[in-house]
Amino acid sequence: MKNLKIINVRFFAQTSSVLRMTGRELMKKKFSVVGTNVIREDGFDKVTGRAKFADDYKFDGMLHAVMLRIPETHAKINSINYLEIENDASIISIITSADIPGSKKVGMIKNDQPIFCDEVVVTPGDVLAMLVGEDVSRLRSALSKIKIDFSPLPVLTDPKKSLEPDAILIHPELGSNLIIHHPLRKGNIEKGFDESDQIIEQTYTTQLIEHAYIEPEAVIAIPLGVNGVKIIGSIQNPFSARRIIAAVVNLPLDKVQVIQAQLGGSFGGKDDIMCILSARAAVAAIKVNRPVKIRYTREESILESYKRHPYILNYKVGFTNSGKIKAMKIDILADGGAYCSMSPFVTWRSVVQATGPYEVENVHTDVRAVYTNNPYTGAMRGFGSPQPIFANESLMDEIALKLGITPYEVRKINGLKAGSITATGQKLQNHDVNLLTVLNVAAKDTDFLNKWKKYKKDKSIVKKYDFTKSVFNDSQFIEPDQLIKKGIGLAVSYRGCSLGAEGIDAAACYLSFQNDGTAYLLSGLAENGQGLRTTFSIIVAEELGITTDNIFYLETDTSRVPDSGPTVASRATLMGGGAVKNAAEILRGRFEELIQEEWKLKSEDEIVFRDNKILTTDNRSLITFKDLCKLAASRGINLSTIGWYKSPNVDWDEHTGQGDAYFTYVYGCQIAEVSVNLGTGEVYLDKITAVHDPGTVINKLGAEGQVYGGVTQGAGYGMLEEVTTENGLIRELNFDQYLILTAKDIGEIKPIFVEGKEIYGPWGAKSLGEPTLELTAAAISNAVSNATGNRFFNLPLNLEEVLLGKKLRPVEVKRGSLR
Amino acid sequence: MMPLIEILTPKNLNEVLSILSNHDKVLKIIAGGTDVVTGLKQESNRFIDAEILIDINHIAEVKGIEQRNGKISIGAATTFTEIYKNQIASKELPILKKAVSTIGSLQIRNRATIAGNFVNNAPCADTVPALLIYNATIEIESINSKREISLQEFLQGPYKTQLKKDEIVTRINIPVPPKTFVGDFYKLGRRQAVAISRITLAVLMELKENNINEIRIASGAATPIGTRFPDLEKFAEGKVVNDNFLRSLASKIGDEIIKLTGLRWSSEYKLPVVQQMFYQMLNRMTKRIK
Ligand SMILES: Cc1cc2nc3c(=O)[nH]c(=O)nc-3n(C[C@H](O)[C@H](O)[C@H](O)COP(=O)(O)OP(=O)(O)OC[C@H]3O[C@@H](n4cnc5c(N)ncnc54)[C@H](O)[C@@H]3O)c2cc1C
Repeated sequence: MKNLKIINVRFFAQTSSVLRMTGRELMKKKFSVVGTNVIREDGFDKVTGRAKFADDYKFDGMLHAVMLRIPETHAKINSINYLEIENDASIISIITSADIPGSKKVGMIKNDQPIFCDEVVVTPGDVLAMLVGEDVSRLRSALSKIKIDFSPLPVLTDPKKSLEPDAILIHPELGSNLIIHHPLRKGNIEKGFDESDQIIEQTYTTQLIEHAYIEPEAVIAIPLGVNGVKIIGSIQNPFSARRIIAAVVNLPLDKVQVIQAQLGGSFGGKDDIMCILSARAAVAAIKVNRPVKIRYTREESILESYKRHPYILNYKVGFTNSGKIKAMKIDILADGGAYCSMSPFVTWRSVVQATGPYEVENVHTDVRAVYTNNPYTGAMRGFGSPQPIFANESLMDEIALKLGITPYEVRKINGLKAGSITATGQKLQNHDVNLLTVLNVAAKDTDFLNKWKKYKKDKSIVKKYDFTKSVFNDSQFIEPDQLIKKGIGLAVSYRGCSLGAEGIDAAACYLSFQNDGTAYLLSGLAENGQGLRTTFSIIVAEELGITTDNIFYLETDTSRVPDSGPTVASRATLMGGGAVKNAAEILRGRFEELIQEEWKLKSEDEIVFRDNKILTTDNRSLITFKDLCKLAASRGINLSTIGWYKSPNVDWDEHTGQGDAYFTYVYGCQIAEVSVNLGTGEVYLDKITAVHDPGTVINKLGAEGQVYGGVTQGAGYGMLEEVTTENGLIRELNFDQYLILTAKDIGEIKPIFVEGKEIYGPWGAKSLGEPTLELTAAAISNAVSNATGNRFFNLPLNLEEVLLGKKLRPVEVKRGSLR
Repeated sequence: MMPLIEILTPKNLNEVLSILSNHDKVLKIIAGGTDVVTGLKQESNRFIDAEILIDINHIAEVKGIEQRNGKISIGAATTFTEIYKNQIASKELPILKKAVSTIGSLQIRNRATIAGNFVNNAPCADTVPALLIYNATIEIESINSKREISLQEFLQGPYKTQLKKDEIVTRINIPVPPKTFVGDFYKLGRRQAVAISRITLAVLMELKENNINEIRIASGAATPIGTRFPDLEKFAEGKVVNDNFLRSLASKIGDEIIKLTGLRWSSEYKLPVVQQMFYQMLNRMTKRIK
């Protein structure tokens, strides 16, 4: 990450129907804080070890809970016999499903996941019961004394077999292994193929991956007697957790208080799992009437937590000889694993975006998610976009190669523009449709066309090896100066912002000024490590002309601020930021009214809030902000408010997959420059240029951080990361085997922001977190293809995939060093 | 889960030896602990029974690097960072230095020791091939005995050595190779740091004119343990270096590895790559000589 130079390009809307911006905002050309580099308010605490994570909390009389599991993928539990530990003094309580006062099964969308699986185990992470006591190591040794009588059931691990008529059912009561089916029908697919000169059909696969947050799961439940229960945890979405806990312990929402500890990473991964762990801890704490902590080891974390969906993607695309896409038929199968979790929403984003950011008249898409006995899959940064992007962006390069044009041209011909109609029939308007802009900026900045042509291979230059003959023949040796080959590849995407038709989309914030000019700020959306608190503080500071150090961001607590939905879908800056701006505007209005009265200003006089002062347009200083607060307080003016931001309506027809899926979109283009070692299949990342239109950038430092992190994660997805299973059992249970990229594996990352105009969000700020990750794997794959002349259809492009075109799997699940 | 273990910190070698002579308890030496501690956590059979760990990090007799009578003597508990920064090792043992530089991460190299690496004797112990081509010998002591044997002889199989229960490795001795020798080390992992080796190769050779006067070849990770290839070395000695010869030498290593390892799940990848990268390495080295 050597290159910190950011190029800010502002492009203005061709269609300037500006809805929510006031005249003053349009006139205001310069921001004072927005768009500058602001250091995260939690940064120092985190790098100096002062930050308090969930496991750092300890309470008098606190107990620990450990989980009872069996190393089985699918089994009927006949009986569990606790006789041998009944008199064990180290065990204060055995917590089973019988202790649950409320819902025994929960879920984000479908209630199919038991808190304790005492009847049947459908995946190896399942927990049968829990032991509670003071000493974790004694509890763990007691686990082995519990006698579990179970009958193994047939195991279903291949999602392709899930819907076969004789497939075993993971949840027999549901009658089918189909979790969800999203169809999309636009135009006439047969006609589209008839009008095509050429057709390509291709299958792509993507792998199961782990979020790999640095902090494993941890949560503490504290019983409050008649006041219910308090939860402190490493929780991504405190309000989702509250809903699930309340259902499980059978308490009203106001009796379940969820406090978010500092979060050591989440990436979408501390949602369902933390809801369930919190519920287990709450059940135990209420039963034994003492605080109970659950803290996972890395192995337990990887074993039980949900992951990213592996996809099998079949694409058929028809296009004319001039490069215009006429029809796309897409069939996607997602492995949801043992539980529904977020599969319906994850795959919904896939159905909306599966064609990629292109104008396609005739589209016929089916996306299905199915149950298997594999580890369950749910939300992960990207959320149903990295998989189709890998497929459709590989396909675009294939079309280009077939037609003898460049990847740039094929995207230019088909890319979405202002007024384009998307696959869901939505007309893109009211914002800068910057797809071709980001493409142009990226191509120019990297000299893409020249490099692409120079590196391009007409056929594969990867040597073929005959495995049965151990010894090389002469022609298989690579001349030393031919060992390393360079390549360049690009990928573009559009991404619907926020939840879209997934559900109600609104957010709140609490803002309260004190009479000395300082303020408390709290959003209903949660800090997940992305720097949200700082972004929100900047918004208040900008609106009221103060500095961020006057703003104290409160601890996230469900009892202090309205439910704002989950912190997901790259919606925090857009929705939460909108609410913060609304709160600041409300208070600013009250201040302006007071100033007008106090200084007898005319109604057309403008009041400027700048540099902790209040000024008139002719730069006359009226009062400091601090004194203004004091004055306002003395006049009995309410200096506190709840801000609110609700998204405009979207609509969706689930039978045809047509509608205005999201109220706005962001656009991105990433270009990967790689060197490929033809002897080993190693791919070295020389440089990734990431051009994104996130709307207005609020915190430049934060935005760059999103790009560095997202690209690194996306590159790991593209080249290395993979959770593999043997009969449903995970092989890689810790970071000695589950490999993610290190700082040494990443070359230069160059973020470039194109700040398109947008009518929604604070000053038109939209989304960036997920777009940064979703493109990288596809760009790298295209670059490796450019370098080698080989195309890749299966992620990740690890050593074996690049060299042999396939994956090799160890036979043993066990680590070698355990012999 | 970590078992409860007693840790002793003796002050000198004699104390270590007398502790080791106690046969009632299951004793284990701990140096950097980068294998012991992770092994305990994983409940590895090799460590889980240990009742007492003997910390040797503060024993002067097993630390430090000296050069004497054409030999370099490295204390068993010398860390990789110490070796990497040491002037003698940098100057005289560049292949070892290169091997050391590829190990783990800086944090690991700050703790991990050279004897820990080969006493643990994982297939992927990165210093082993380098030490083998330097013809390293090791000094082993117990309360009643002291012996010096070649490292090659000491290593018996994956995670197996000749070390007896009451013994400690005290020093590693390496005859300084003549200046006419050149060598190289190659490591392939799945990523650029904190990577378990998939293949390592170490080569040291002396050319006279364009003839191979002497060559030493060793590999790790692709073979069950770090190993020299005597047949390959014999085949190469006396030969004229040209492209044809390098190709035939490189392809022979494939055969040798199959003989030692048999076919495994990973052979389909490792066999071609080891030949290819051995060839690349030989090319680099012979160009350097010219
Ligand atoms: C994250 C990580 C990355 C790693 N990366 C690499 C890598 O890239 N390459 C690599 O080769 N290894 C790697 N390792 C393994 C390990 O660091 C090395 O094997 C290291 O050299 C072990 O040394 P140590 O001092 O830590 O050994 P310890 O763990 O202290 O001991 C290892 C074994 O040697 C015995 N022992 C130690 N010293 C003596 C002695 N003087 N006499 C007799 N017995 C002794 C111990 O009893 C034990 O059986 C890695 C380990 C970790 C945790």
